[in-house]
Amino acid sequence: MSNTKTPPNGSATPSEDTSKNNLPPIVGINFGNSFASIAVFTKEGVAECIANEDGERQIAAAISFSGEEIYYGNQATQQLVKNSSNTIVGFRNLLGKKFSEISQSEQPKSAPVIQHPEIADEPAYKVEILQPAPTPLPTSTHTSNLNTPAASHAATPRSEPTPATRILTVSEVTSLFLGSLLTSASDFLGKPIAGAVITVPPSFSATQKSALIAAAENAGVKVLQLLDEAAAVAAVATREDWGLEGADREVLVVDLGASSLSLSLLSLRDGLAHILASSNTPTPTSNEIDDVLIKFFAADFTKKTKIPLLVATQAEQSVADKRAEARLRLAIEHTKRTISASSGPATVSVESLKDGVDYTGAINRMRFDLLARPIYSSVVTAVTSLLSSVELDAHAVHEIVYVGGSASLPGLDEALVLGAVFAEDVATPFARGVVVGGGVGDPTTVLARGAAVQGALVASVPADDEAYAAIRGAYSHAHDGEQVSSANEVIATSKTLGILLPGPEAEEGAALGGTWIQVVAKDTPLPARRAVRFDVAVAANAKAVAVEVWEVSESIRVEKVVVPAAPAEDDEDEEEPEEEEIKHRVVHKDSLLGVVQLTSAVAIQAKGNWTTTLEVVFVVDANSQLKVQVQEIGEGGAQGVLKTGA
Amino acid sequence: MATVQILPVTVPALPTDYAPPVASSSISAPHPLGHRVLLPVGQAHLNHLRLALHHAHDFDAFDAHTATEREAKKKLLAAEGASEDDHGVGDEEEPEDLLALDPKEWKKQDHYAVLGLSKFRYQATAAQIKIAHRKKVLKHHPDKKASGTPNETILGININQNTNDDSFFKCIQKAHEVLTNAEKRRQFDSVDPAFLEAEEDIAGVTASDFKNKKLDFFKTFTPIFELYSRFSRAQPVPGLGKLDATKAEVEGFYDFWYNFDSWRSFEWWDKEVNEGSDSRDDKRYTEKKNKSERARRKKEDTAKLRGLVDLCLSLDPRIKLIKQHEKEAREAKKAAAQPGKPAKKTKAQEEEEKKKAEDEAKKKEEEEKVPTVFLDAKKAKAAAANAAKKARREARAAEEAAAA
Repeated sequence: MSNTKTPPNGSATPSEDTSKNNLPPIVGINFGNSFASIAVFTKEGVAECIANEDGERQIAAAISFSGEEIYYGNQATQQLVKNSSNTIVGFRNLLGKKFSEISQSEQPKSAPVIQHPEIADEPAYKVEILQPAPTPLPTSTHTSNLNTPAASHAATPRSEPTPATRILTVSEVTSLFLGSLLTSASDFLGKPIAGAVITVPPSFSATQKSALIAAAENAGVKVLQLLDEAAAVAAVATREDWGLEGADREVLVVDLGASSLSLSLLSLRDGLAHILASSNTPTPTSNEIDDVLIKFFAADFTKKTKIPLLVATQAEQSVADKRAEARLRLAIEHTKRTISASSGPATVSVESLKDGVDYTGAINRMRFDLLARPIYSSVVTAVTSLLSSVELDAHAVHEIVYVGGSASLPGLDEALVLGAVFAEDVATPFARGVVVGGGVGDPTTVLARGAAVQGALVASVPADDEAYAAIRGAYSHAHDGEQVSSANEVIATSKTLGILLPGPEAEEGAALGGTWIQVVAKDTPLPARRAVRFDVAVAANAKAVAVEVWEVSESIRVEKVVVPAAPAEDDEDEEEPEEEEIKHRVVHKDSLLGVVQLTSAVAIQAKGNWTTTLEVVFVVDANSQLKVQVQEIGEGGAQGVLKTGA
Repeated sequence: MATVQILPVTVPALPTDYAPPVASSSISAPHPLGHRVLLPVGQAHLNHLRLALHHAHDFDAFDAHTATEREAKKKLLAAEGASEDDHGVGDEEEPEDLLALDPKEWKKQDHYAVLGLSKFRYQATAAQIKIAHRKKVLKHHPDKKASGTPNETILGININQNTNDDSFFKCIQKAHEVLTNAEKRRQFDSVDPAFLEAEEDIAGVTASDFKNKKLDFFKTFTPIFELYSRFSRAQPVPGLGKLDATKAEVEGFYDFWYNFDSWRSFEWWDKEVNEGSDSRDDKRYTEKKNKSERARRKKEDTAKLRGLVDLCLSLDPRIKLIKQHEKEAREAKKAAAQPGKPAKKTKAQEEEEKKKAEDEAKKKEEEEKVPTVFLDAKKAKAAAANAAKKARREARAAEEAAAA
């Protein structure tokens, strides 16, 4: 390193970004408690969620031991019906935990968690397997002198496998499962996987993260980074193909998982993301949606066949009931997907649900939303309390991103937007129409794709270059423990900066004295640079342009209107004409930072009006000093500069 | 450079009575360090880290660094692309009329253009054809198109507009078939539309053109012979050369082109045997016609080339130069052979001249040793004719004498 010539600014020689042709074999793994998905970069240079050998993109986090076979994924969940004691599900949340920390209250529907017989306070699973018998010894060539029949030359057949029990720690189970995911990915790419980025839920502690890394290393892959689920969302949401890139916006991430609901409020500032607030509650979950659906179908079954069926209760169930519930639980996965995809009736059919009687039922989206209403409303409550905890009005949120299979339900989106009173033009994946057909907003693939995107980025950082050590540290420290890398700590602006072009009011009811253009939003990490370009009219004789630079504060003004008088548009971003309340996003001028006055040199005349194009560049440096450059676009255009501070 | 956000607004003009207010202060204090913690994710975050750690928050230094980085990457990609990746096949534009080709009319299509090899044509290597074909197939395979373009609805009826979607794909396959078969490719190359066009453009010169338009000999004929050289079985083909070419070079050139061995053939323009009739006679008739047509065309082609070479020879300034040199040399020799005339010259001068004349004579002798096929051809012919005439006349005279 010492003999490498480094430029005076201390940076290393330019690194080669990941080009289209030689993308590294990096896999992004969304490792959920009930489902996992994997994404890689395809030949076309896009991150894509890929299917495993069974054609499943949503791979159940399950392992089943049946005789000599080990089943992974959705094959394993099928084993829950008849082989539930040897099928392991829901192991991710137990990773890195002690046995004493795990609550045993729930009635197990799969292999129970037991205390490891040898390691103290270690959770483990006990499964019955068939151990293949040892290979018999080859027939001896040495024949004895005794008068015995000649030995057969055929190989001695293997004896029957012997039953055995196998004790697996949670870490071993995780390694096995991750290993199966990696095999799928490397089969798809045709080369061994060089590294992985794995998502972790926000509830994971530092020990759990370390345990996950250890388990992945045992599975034979280098973990490049562990990503918070919110961070994985940010990775895709700031990309160009997301369709909303670059803009400064607040994003609400709703992850309705099988075991918890996690909400994160992200602030995106030109691709830089930080969490404003987050919450993680054990209820509501998508399992609750499953439960109401199962109860509905069980009641329907009883009504049709007069066979009593007890499901989804804490009460003691018969074996037949348990099996019927397991069968239904598997079948409704497909029903839920149908409901997400189309508004028509979705069917469920189970052969021999109970007592050898088949069941076929249907449910339409309206009925389903009615059933799931209580779960939807508790999501709405959770969102409202999260927003109020940071004193943010729902109207200040520009975008909602859903994560997880159950969040693909359009009913949830509808209930949330109406229930928590978001602005009408809030960008949800459903409103943008990017959910179906593997679009960018598909909640089931977002996390895996985010992890793959980030994986490619981390892999592009030179691994053995000292100049980049601090950057690599920013990626690795974040999952080492509670403390975050200092490189990720930033100072951020406290107020919104922008320009005001004096003139008539742009909107009715505003008292700004001109047209307001926001340039640097509040909470923008420093240093920051923003550029805007817009057309401005100039008077034919004077051709004068004045650009006032203001610091402003924003608020939401709630106007009570009895008759919807439909006032003219407020700030273009947010408005909500309701019967009773009208919310306006209003801007209060706080302090004037300076004025740049120009005389236009290259204005052009069109239809009798003189206009010119201005480009305004704001640079707020790390010492929070502002520099504004105003440039008229065109050869020989006028320009002006404004600097603040000492 | 920061991405410029273009706003779709036009701001009204500044009021005439505008007076700038007094600016008050600098911007309010930011949130302290650690108030916000970035999620370590995304390209923007990486850029932010590099800006902070490598460039001390200096946007200009960072811009310069990323610019060099981009340049290096571009160079790398260009180098990769040119060397091994696609053998320089690259991507060519596909105009509308090319995509609208009818596979039934495959004989008329430009196979090189279909595969995007217009810039290589007859020089395209097998590897290039293979890669070009693969690229086109990836782009135009019917399986890829099926979902790409939506069906258009006309008058409420869902009419599938894409029934003919694979027509260009068929053209691609046909082009590949032709260009990968050596024999068929030569047949196509013989009547390559681009060649015919170029031939029309430049090879139609006549002697009168030359006189009237005052064309430059070398500028006119060099591309013509370069154009035809592709058909030579013997490669490389000698070029026309420059004005200062030696006599041997010039003669070698004409020697080659008068004995030009061309592989050009005209099977491509054969009329197809009428499929409807299985009459053997019909078939034979067409075959015969085709054969004679081919022979006729070939003959025409040879004659045309011959004519061109004749024209070239008649206009070649070098031939004149060579002749002039020869004449001068002859005259010098003659002058050397006639003593007395330069009597006034001093002895030294005389000697010098003599030596010069001798040298020239020697040179000429050497030159004459080289076979001068066409220069002397006419002369020889004329001489032979004269000799024959003379012989006949003598014979007649002898007969008459005998009779008398």
